[in-house]
Amino acid sequence: MPESNDSKAQALDTDSQGLEEFDAGAYVERIINMAQNSDVHLQHISQQFNTELRDLRNHVLVMGGLVEKQVSDATLSLVNADTELAQFVRQTEDDIDKLEVTIDEECTRVIARRQPTASDLRLVMGVAKMVSDLERIGDEAEKIAKIGIRLTEEGQAPRGYVEVRHISNHVGQMVHDALDSFTRFDLDLALRVMKEDKAVDTEYKSAMRSLVTFMMEDPRNITGILNIIWVLRSLERIGDHSRNICEHVIYMVKGKDVRHASLEKTEQIIEERR
Amino acid sequence: MRVSVKEWTAKGDPWVWLNAGAVAISLVMVLGLLSLIAVRGLSHFWPHSIMEADYVGDDGKVSLMIGEVVESEEVPAEQLRHSGVDVPEGAEFLNRLLIKTGNRDVLGFDFRWILEKKIRDRRQPGDLMAIERREWGNFYGYLEDVKESGEVVASGPQAWDEFQQRIERTLDLHDQIYDIEKHQIGSVNYTLERLRLKERRLELNGKKTPQAMADIEAERAEEDQIYQSLQQQLSELYTQINRDSITARAMNGNVIDIPLAKVVRAFQPNNMDLFEKIGFYFVKVWEFISDDPREANTEGGIFPAIYGTVLMVIIMSVIVTPLGVVAAVYLREYAHQGAMTRIIRIAVNNLAGVPSIVYGVFGLGFFIYFIGSNIDQALYPEALPSPTFGTPGLMWASITLAILTLPVVIVATEEGLARIPRSMREGSLALGATKAETLWRVVIPMASPAMMTGVILAIARAAGEVAPLMLVGVVKLAPSLPLDGNYPYLHLDQKFMHLGFHIYDVGFQSPNVEAARPLVYATALLLVAVIALLNLSAVAIRNRLREKYKALEM
Amino acid sequence: MNDSMTQTTAHQETKSRTHGIDISAIERSAEDISIEQETIALQVNNLKLYYGEKEALHGIDMQIPQKRVTAFIGPSGCGKSTLLRCFNRMNDLVDGCRIDGRILLEDQNIYEKGVDVAELRRRVGMVFQKPNPFPKSIYENVAYGLRIQGINKKRVIDETVEWALKSAALWDEVKDRLNESALGLSGGQQQRLVIARTVAVKPEVLLLDEPASALDPLSTLKIEELIHELKDEYTIVIVTHNMQQAARVSDYTAFMYMGDLIEFGSTNQLFTNPVSKQTEDYITGRYG
Repeated sequence: MPESNDSKAQALDTDSQGLEEFDAGAYVERIINMAQNSDVHLQHISQQFNTELRDLRNHVLVMGGLVEKQVSDATLSLVNADTELAQFVRQTEDDIDKLEVTIDEECTRVIARRQPTASDLRLVMGVAKMVSDLERIGDEAEKIAKIGIRLTEEGQAPRGYVEVRHISNHVGQMVHDALDSFTRFDLDLALRVMKEDKAVDTEYKSAMRSLVTFMMEDPRNITGILNIIWVLRSLERIGDHSRNICEHVIYMVKGKDVRHASLEKTEQIIEERR
Repeated sequence: MRVSVKEWTAKGDPWVWLNAGAVAISLVMVLGLLSLIAVRGLSHFWPHSIMEADYVGDDGKVSLMIGEVVESEEVPAEQLRHSGVDVPEGAEFLNRLLIKTGNRDVLGFDFRWILEKKIRDRRQPGDLMAIERREWGNFYGYLEDVKESGEVVASGPQAWDEFQQRIERTLDLHDQIYDIEKHQIGSVNYTLERLRLKERRLELNGKKTPQAMADIEAERAEEDQIYQSLQQQLSELYTQINRDSITARAMNGNVIDIPLAKVVRAFQPNNMDLFEKIGFYFVKVWEFISDDPREANTEGGIFPAIYGTVLMVIIMSVIVTPLGVVAAVYLREYAHQGAMTRIIRIAVNNLAGVPSIVYGVFGLGFFIYFIGSNIDQALYPEALPSPTFGTPGLMWASITLAILTLPVVIVATEEGLARIPRSMREGSLALGATKAETLWRVVIPMASPAMMTGVILAIARAAGEVAPLMLVGVVKLAPSLPLDGNYPYLHLDQKFMHLGFHIYDVGFQSPNVEAARPLVYATALLLVAVIALLNLSAVAIRNRLREKYKALEM
Repeated sequence: MNDSMTQTTAHQETKSRTHGIDISAIERSAEDISIEQETIALQVNNLKLYYGEKEALHGIDMQIPQKRVTAFIGPSGCGKSTLLRCFNRMNDLVDGCRIDGRILLEDQNIYEKGVDVAELRRRVGMVFQKPNPFPKSIYENVAYGLRIQGINKKRVIDETVEWALKSAALWDEVKDRLNESALGLSGGQQQRLVIARTVAVKPEVLLLDEPASALDPLSTLKIEELIHELKDEYTIVIVTHNMQQAARVSDYTAFMYMGDLIEFGSTNQLFTNPVSKQTEDYITGRYG
């Protein structure tokens, strides 16, 4: 146990700067401030409408910040075998669920009372969809935390943690960038996230291969490694949801649905009318 | 391209033509009327040349004929023959001339119809002169001598210039006499009359104290003294004005003596060039507008009539506007809109259709005989038995016409009030204004153009009305203007002259209808002009108001 | 990072660990308002209104909350304007109009005998469908209400006019031409002038009878924004044909139909989840 802890600590130092607990409140405040500066949605004659849209978007950013933290906390709790952190992740999931409901309700209200049109409408629709993706990311994070708790209880050897840490880092960055692209309506960043998703898929496949090799080497590892596969699976799903978020951002800005388009096509759409 | 009749009617073209035709006919008629009046009326002031000719009488005797050719017409020979005129065989039509021969004092008549073929050798000698006189109408003839106090001072060619100079002197004197007689002595008489009334009033009130009597007597003595001195001035002036005279030869060869005091002006139209004639024309027009009438209104000006008409219309407007507006405001804003208001409205509308002479009778019977005589009893007992307000006068005429035009103002104002959007009233009421405040601050100002429209219509109607006025205050010749320098300046009880009545009087009541006919036209033209002027000024006021409150039409 | 440290502190932190974001605040901010928590400005009790023999309002019971925007919606002829005009007794001007029931303004029944109607209308101001500025200068329009009250001090009037025009967001547009005719303003400006004129007499309640129906969309938005700003100071009741407008500007909405109050509730609730089937049909445009 101490040994493994040491190697884990080393790994953390080498390739995972992202895997640290961070203050979500301060972080959210920072991104909200960032969003304040470039805002096309807040120039209505109706100040009330501006306020509503700003609140809506800020709430999404709050939720995004929380979710981002959940992803990193979940991996951290798993890798550090930190049950207490894992429990905290599971608690926070409740908050995310509440936020999803609140934001959904706000979207409904804005649509019912303001009849938003064009970019406003796309913002509200996009937010409604983004919220469900964020919530799913939260769910996946919770799953990871649960598996972490189970693994800690079973005290199994942490095989495959390197892959987990690596992919988690990658995926965490994707979630962060996806939210960033929403904050700043930065389509280039969104496109980069979508490309990253391909890379994550590849990494996921190679990780699977190596884990399968582990299982074949020693069938006693199968139970433990299966759990790790579940974690990797969740991380891969988080990457997919990040990609979805980016697609929604592109929809909000460009008004084009790129959910089922190829990357090239998406790139083309982003280049259009720049 | 042929178009069938059916199609043509279906397109509505006939209606357009019909309407356009009706408008055109109306316009032509109005313009024709105005130009007829204008031509006939305005030509009266032109110095026509005087014709001299030899007239061959029925007995073959040749005599001299001098006068203005006023008119010429073709008469069927048969008609002449029937009236006993000797007409040669074969002629079917003969030309007949109307000659204004003037010289009524010499000839007994001043217009004469003669057959054109009976005169010959028509000529226009330059030294033939026309004299406008204060009585007996124009004189046409040749100047013989100018005399001063019976002594001949000039004769022959120099006589004309001498004559003109002396006319100016006499006119000057005449003006002085006029001023003294009309204004100064008039003022003295007025004061004396007031003193008499004052004394009578004191007597009636039982306050005829010796003290008061002494005051009155003192004032009276003072006035008498003024009167005496004026009288003295007058008699001096009269001797001066009667100094000069001329002798002139008329067409029948009689040489008559004309005192210069009786001469208004003398001129030789045949000697005048165009510019002199134009100058003369404007002098005559000005005289017509600004002078008092002479010789039973057939000569001179019609200033008192213009003055009376305008003053009467103004007083009428002052009376009718508040009355009509108040009535309309009550009917529209305060009265309960039910059967009663409907009946009142119908009655008001019908009042507008009552013949105006009926209003005259009403004015005479109610205002003058009833209210007027009661006023006299109560307020002017000292003047009785001669009535003050119990007789036709300016005030009664104005009030009668105000009643006559009241429906017009009421209807127009009501229309105006009805057109004010409800939102305006509500806007004011919603700010906590009471109904009266709303009316006063918002509704009435906004309805003012409509009120002015009503007043314009009232003026148009009142200024042209004659029939009722004959009963309630108009006279053919008023001794003084109803607004003058004697306290209380505006004499509402006085009778006054009116253009409309003047036309009637001159045209049909004058002793010399032929002479007066052009004056009828000229007066009619002036009446039209005065009404147009009154209307235009009212329209100008209305348009300014309308501009101020314009967006309310929305 | 020291492992033992994490181990020891972990348990102590379980309860106190936090992500630094107050979710309940967000939930509260998105929470719906409720009439139970409001101060009531106008209380309508069983109000019936008759035009001659015809009953136009069939016993309305309603509470208008203070310093909120309450909207009346409903099809034409449903009685919403009529009800609005009851609040400042504008219906008194209509011949044959009779009212039964009570409307309490600060516990005072405005239909009681002896109520000074002019005074009531000063407290309950009204703005109408069409802009109706008087044909006077901009200044005189705003000063009208003051002059009616007998205020003639130039300084007082000047100050009030400026304040009222600023309240109506019109001051910057007209401050250089106060003495020009109000009729030269655009429709939207005229309507804001009328609002300024009404605000100038400092009413407690502002009644707006379709204030934007004669205006273009942009002016409409400005008026709506103005309403939003004014609600901090005044109780506002607005009648509108335009459901979307009601949804945009109001805090509470009343749906009326055929002289009945069908539903009254917070605008959020009424437009997202109406209780009554009739309301649902109306706001979703299913009326036959």
